[in-house]
Amino acid sequence: MRLFKRMPELQILLVCTIGCYLFLETFVASNQLNDFFGLTGVDLIFISFFMSFVVAIISVVAGVGGGVIFTPIMLAFTSVDTLIIRSTGLVVAMFSGLVASGPFMRKGLADIKLVFLGALPILLGGFLGSLAAITLFDYFGATGDALVRLTLGFILGLIAITFIVGGASTEYPEHSEKSRLATRLKLRHMYWEETLKRPVRYDVHNVKTAVFLLLCVGFTGGFFGLGGGWAVVPVLNLVMSVPLKVSAATSGVLLAMGNSAAIWPYINAGALIGVVAAPWMLGQIIGGIVGAHALAGLKAALVRKVLIVLLFLTSLKLCARGIEGIFNVNIPIL
Amino acid sequence: MIKRRPPVPISGVVYGEIIYWCTCLSALLVVGGTIRCFLETDTVMPVGYLINSVFEGRSVEEIWATSALKSPPDALTYLSLLHNGEALTVAGIAFGVLSVAPAVFFSAAYLWRSKNEFLAVTAMVSGAFAIVTPFVYFLF
Repeated sequence: MRLFKRMPELQILLVCTIGCYLFLETFVASNQLNDFFGLTGVDLIFISFFMSFVVAIISVVAGVGGGVIFTPIMLAFTSVDTLIIRSTGLVVAMFSGLVASGPFMRKGLADIKLVFLGALPILLGGFLGSLAAITLFDYFGATGDALVRLTLGFILGLIAITFIVGGASTEYPEHSEKSRLATRLKLRHMYWEETLKRPVRYDVHNVKTAVFLLLCVGFTGGFFGLGGGWAVVPVLNLVMSVPLKVSAATSGVLLAMGNSAAIWPYINAGALIGVVAAPWMLGQIIGGIVGAHALAGLKAALVRKVLIVLLFLTSLKLCARGIEGIFNVNIPIL
Repeated sequence: MIKRRPPVPISGVVYGEIIYWCTCLSALLVVGGTIRCFLETDTVMPVGYLINSVFEGRSVEEIWATSALKSPPDALTYLSLLHNGEALTVAGIAFGVLSVAPAVFFSAAYLWRSKNEFLAVTAMVSGAFAIVTPFVYFLF
């Protein structure tokens, strides 16, 4: 509640958004949709906003970007066209990070030098990935969709395993040797750790490997509409030895920047339906602000556990749908 | 042991503030666009049709082929239809997306002043890339 009092812009956004949806619910006649339990278009938009708000808080705290939750769930459990899901997924992945950039930078949690080091490979990779996605869709149609679902299912399983393997060891990584390249680029930083009530200093390592990995992450993020924060955190934390909390914050900022290039091929292909993406974007913005302020005083362990279970379940469903589409068989899961 | 809060880099604060406020502004544009979507009656992109088509699982090409536009819109189409709710909503999202570019340039200037020339240059290249990508599509 204190957060809302302290930030008038959050109050304005919340009042405008809720006011807009209440106005639409009350005064606008919207048709009932087929196969959606008697819900109208406005109902679905309001539900999307609420879900997006929750997803934003979880994703900012876990440092993964909302796309990694939104895109797989929508691909696994709805029949919405994959291009539309992936373009909206990029919006989801992006806007929580965009709006969280402000609080993260103000608190010194996100490292601007790391952001600019990783920005170019992620931007380039993301743009190439989204161009590849549009091309694949043009050539393979429905089979391409099934392939995307199956591949994404495997990738999600791998992400979940990465979180399990990497989650325990590296809240404050330490190295005895300093990286020469990182020293030349002045990649060292200090931030105030609220839970320890003291500043934490760190040095960065393995710069070249990390830049290459970020290019790959950008490509995957742009291709699947996932964003890429799920992999940026491990790259920053496990490869570059950046503390976990700074990795999560920097990943959110980097992700937002990287997706700013990836979204354009989708917009130019008519795959971003504004009225469908809007509630997801608004939920991400409001949830992103709340999540960014929550991160400073939180231990992210519980959120990560929830995320791991979610990723495994969605991975299973995606693999099943992918196999169904490619081999024309029926696998009864959910 | 030092217990003082370390100073926060000004280049980061500049970057964060520009993006933060542009994103809030873009959210307001999107809210306006959404309201307009539902209120307009005679439009080339009717909201009821779009929502129904999306949730029925129709493909992007099918959705636009059977709309009044007849083909998928690109960024220029949206710009020419800015009086339309759907186009205004997409424009609001695009405004938020493009806020990255000015934030990067201003932040790079501060990085340059603090003797981080290499990262300032990579930042400016990234900013230029973010500006150019909307237009790359039209080259093919």
